[in-house]
Amino acid sequence: MLFQIAWRNLWRNRFRSLLIALSVAIGMWAGAFIMAIYFGMGNGRLRIAIDREVSHIQVHHPGFSEDQDPKFHFDTDSVAQVLREQPAIKSFALRSITSGMLATASGSRGVQINGISPAAEQSTRQLGDFLTAGEYLDTATQHRIFIGASLADKMKLGVGQKVVLTFLDTSAAITSGAFRVCGLYKSFNTPLDERNVFVLKTDLDRMLGLQHRAHEAAILLQHDDDLDTAFYSISEQLPGLKVEKWQDISPETSLVVSSLDTYTIIYIVIILIALAFGIINTMLMAVLERTREIGVLMAVGMNRLRIFSMIMLETIMLTLAGAPVGLLVAWICVEWLGRTGIDLSGVAGDVMQDFGYASVIYPVLPLGSVLKTIWLVLLSAVLSAIFPALKALNLKPVEAIRA
Amino acid sequence: MSTDMENQTVIDAHNLSKVYNPDTIPVNAVNGVHLHLERGEFTALVGPSGSGKTTLLNMIGGLDQPTTGKVIINGTDITALPPNALIDFRLHNIGFVFQAFNLIPVLTARENIEFIMLLQKIPAEERSRRVAELLLAVGLPNKADARPAQLSGGQQQRVAVARALASKPQFILADEPTANLDSHSASTLLDIMEKLNTDEHMTFLFSTHDQRVIDRARRVITLVDGSIASDTAPAGLRHS
Repeated sequence: MLFQIAWRNLWRNRFRSLLIALSVAIGMWAGAFIMAIYFGMGNGRLRIAIDREVSHIQVHHPGFSEDQDPKFHFDTDSVAQVLREQPAIKSFALRSITSGMLATASGSRGVQINGISPAAEQSTRQLGDFLTAGEYLDTATQHRIFIGASLADKMKLGVGQKVVLTFLDTSAAITSGAFRVCGLYKSFNTPLDERNVFVLKTDLDRMLGLQHRAHEAAILLQHDDDLDTAFYSISEQLPGLKVEKWQDISPETSLVVSSLDTYTIIYIVIILIALAFGIINTMLMAVLERTREIGVLMAVGMNRLRIFSMIMLETIMLTLAGAPVGLLVAWICVEWLGRTGIDLSGVAGDVMQDFGYASVIYPVLPLGSVLKTIWLVLLSAVLSAIFPALKALNLKPVEAIRA
Repeated sequence: MSTDMENQTVIDAHNLSKVYNPDTIPVNAVNGVHLHLERGEFTALVGPSGSGKTTLLNMIGGLDQPTTGKVIINGTDITALPPNALIDFRLHNIGFVFQAFNLIPVLTARENIEFIMLLQKIPAEERSRRVAELLLAVGLPNKADARPAQLSGGQQQRVAVARALASKPQFILADEPTANLDSHSASTLLDIMEKLNTDEHMTFLFSTHDQRVIDRARRVITLVDGSIASDTAPAGLRHS
């Protein structure tokens, strides 16, 4: 009957209870929706990092990871042989990499020169899909360079124009070569676009003095869940090389993903603290309005634990009357916007891409975080109930009945 | 009604005093009252406003602590009980009827009565049977599902009497039970309480100003300035 009394008491002042339930619902909707947007942004960043930038796993010569010197390379044939035998691998790309200077008639700029196989690069990170002008690299045409549109803009370069790349070869001798811009690209990460230029691996290897060697193997897996298994297997079979997961290669992405939960919980807690004050106020009013009634209940033999429980139940019910509605509306919004996406390009321009985020966010609401939110709501309801319940307990029946 | 049961002492109050504001401006609400009630008594506590009737009733009912003295109910000194034990004692031994009825507005008449038995953890079947009996006893069998707001004042007070009886108490304390009732409702209520007293030897102690109650009481105790000014003999209206 405590449940019955608590529930009916809740609706004695319908307007007030509905108002609080509505504010709880709006608070929950806002919290869950912000959470979904954050997770959507995090997921987007993760997918860009894995699918378009660093892949799941990378293999380097241990020395190359330290100082990026092109003299630290590995044998491509043996590595490719090992990678081809891994069932979890979807595709991989072998790259030659060096740092150098890109010079034009109007200026020069430091860049990372990536020697790639266009087909392998396409299947590993769809580099060709970023094409905005000209054409993607083609193995049939030598000495061509594929550069970021933002770099081209800064260097006042266009398709068909010539640049000179200057860098140190594996014997530390300065070498340079002229390349013609075949195409421009724009990825999801503007800072990377300004730093990375792509040439044919065969062209770069010839200039570096390499044959059947590479500096980097980027590996894309069939499924994210295969990461640990594939990592251990590859590490075991390539004992002299440094095998790294995406978390080690792109720690900033790893930090974003791992801190998402913490940030969203902080937002939810802030919202719940604000709501808790509203709930405490409402329940205090409810207790003060019913002073005489509570006094009578105490007089006729309702003990303190039951009085406390009754106020607790009312508060929890009041909170739970609004929270599921808020979560349901948030879920509907997320389901809808998860399909259509939220395009922030009009609002944030290129700012999102400057930080490596997609400008279209697809919100997601992970079940685990929703459950955590529900626990937090229940906890805040219980904490909000304590003060009004204590207020009720402190009433003296003889004084309360006279109220 | 001269039986062994009737001679059983239900309320024994010794030298009860209550002083409000003892540290500032002391007000002696009750002064050294000795009171002894046997089972089956139908007693009215009368006196002018401020004479200490309600304070005395509250102390006997364990709602208020005396400044000095003690209240012994059926052999238990309730003034020495810790708060939770006192609440439990009230639940099982004392029925209350208040001037303002004080029913739980969100519960129906049936639920208001049943609620007390629920607190006593009485099984559902027995609760249900007893609620029906009590509603019949107070003449409201057809109002079981009505909420207090749907009942007249007299009907509400009858439900309050049924609620007070639900716990099968040792006695019922009624504080001005007819004060808010019209004469017909008051008369009906008194009939019911008198019948319960006669048939079931239920002990009643009223505080009242109402002559209709005083006329029906078999013992009348008059309080003046917190002290007993007169006390009739249980056998009749013999004012001292």
